[in-house]
Amino acid sequence: MNAGPRVAAAVLGKDLRLDLRSKDRLGHMAVFSALVVVLLSISLPPAKRAATLWIPALMWVVFLFTSLLGLSRSFLAETAGGALATLSGAPCDRGWIFLGKAGANFVALLGVEIWTAVLFSVFLGVDWSRAVGPALGVALLGAAGLASVGTLLSALSATARFREFLLPVLLFPLILPVLVFASQATADALAEGAVRGLHWGALALYAWVFTLAGYFVFDHVLED
Amino acid sequence: MKAIDLVEVQKHYGAVRALDGISAGFETGTLTHVAGPNGAGKSTLLRVIAGLTRPTRGRVAVLGVDLFRSLHAGERGRVGYLGADAGLYGELTLRENLQFCTRLHGVDKSRVDAVLDRLDLAEMSARPVSTLSLGFRRRAGLARLLVSDPELWLLDEPWNGLDADASASLASELRAHGEAGRTALVAAHVVGEYAGLFDRGVALHDGRLEEV
Repeated sequence: MNAGPRVAAAVLGKDLRLDLRSKDRLGHMAVFSALVVVLLSISLPPAKRAATLWIPALMWVVFLFTSLLGLSRSFLAETAGGALATLSGAPCDRGWIFLGKAGANFVALLGVEIWTAVLFSVFLGVDWSRAVGPALGVALLGAAGLASVGTLLSALSATARFREFLLPVLLFPLILPVLVFASQATADALAEGAVRGLHWGALALYAWVFTLAGYFVFDHVLED
Repeated sequence: MKAIDLVEVQKHYGAVRALDGISAGFETGTLTHVAGPNGAGKSTLLRVIAGLTRPTRGRVAVLGVDLFRSLHAGERGRVGYLGADAGLYGELTLRENLQFCTRLHGVDKSRVDAVLDRLDLAEMSARPVSTLSLGFRRRAGLARLLVSDPELWLLDEPWNGLDADASASLASELRAHGEAGRTALVAAHVVGEYAGLFDRGVALHDGRLEEV
């Protein structure tokens, strides 16, 4: 295998192993989203829960805040033990390290998206039966967009003094297109069982652009 | 042939000049001790050579290439950097960490057992790195370096936290590295009884390099 794909696969495998081993990141995200959804189910009037127009937006906002918890810890293992230097010494373009890290974030965020959707189904009565296929597609593209931009910004803010503050301040404006298109696409999926081509295209384009951007600028992000 | 060639290298952190126009060459096959007080720029120098910190000005050629150019990214594996931290993941076991390094560098996994035996770390290999004592973590860092088998070693205060046996073991590894015709730069305040290991000594003062 070429050095780049080999390094990306090694980083992806290592991050997934760390996630499963410590359970901190996944556990915190799962508990946080569960708490928010339970609070929503208590505070929302039952009559309004059936409305499909705003439920998707609410779900994506919950998901966005939940994913912040995970993304902010994405580079913690690297900065804690000096492993960033180990990764940076890999014999390939550092963009491949980005792809490995973003891949691991994608898997974690997709898991959290599915978990959040299940919570919305259980506590708020959202019926996914007509929308499983399209909603899963939206979840995949939304997670890809969020993972790419989130990984890049997480690396940028990893060694900053106000990391917890910096990441949301940078992430929220940039992630707005994903939030808007994913919410609308999920609403369409729930109402009509289908998603408009414009929404598919916008989500795919966003994920593609930020994955490419991350690949090319990661070298500079990792340098002092 | 020069393993490292520095031409007017500067590194500024705001108003602080960590490296102030360093020009020097380090021949292949030499072990060099870099001395200097705290804040003299030793760590910055090693990080610049390792391709981890981009210099503000100047040219850095390592093993004949510029490691900051994407074109030469494949050569980064020929350089091994061991800083103040071991460069390992605390939640993973020592063996898992070393296996990860073999995957990063595309070297045979059998090197892991060989290195663990060589550094007397086999008994610790199933323990998460976060549970190891400082001394063992330092040795684990050296194991990481040996597993990837780089031609150029850049070691920052490698004797810190090591007991007498581990210090001697590190000195023996350094000697073997030099005898194999390979190069190392070792930044350390004091090398004491191991001063004889080195072919050359340089000192950093206020970001400037002097021969010792």
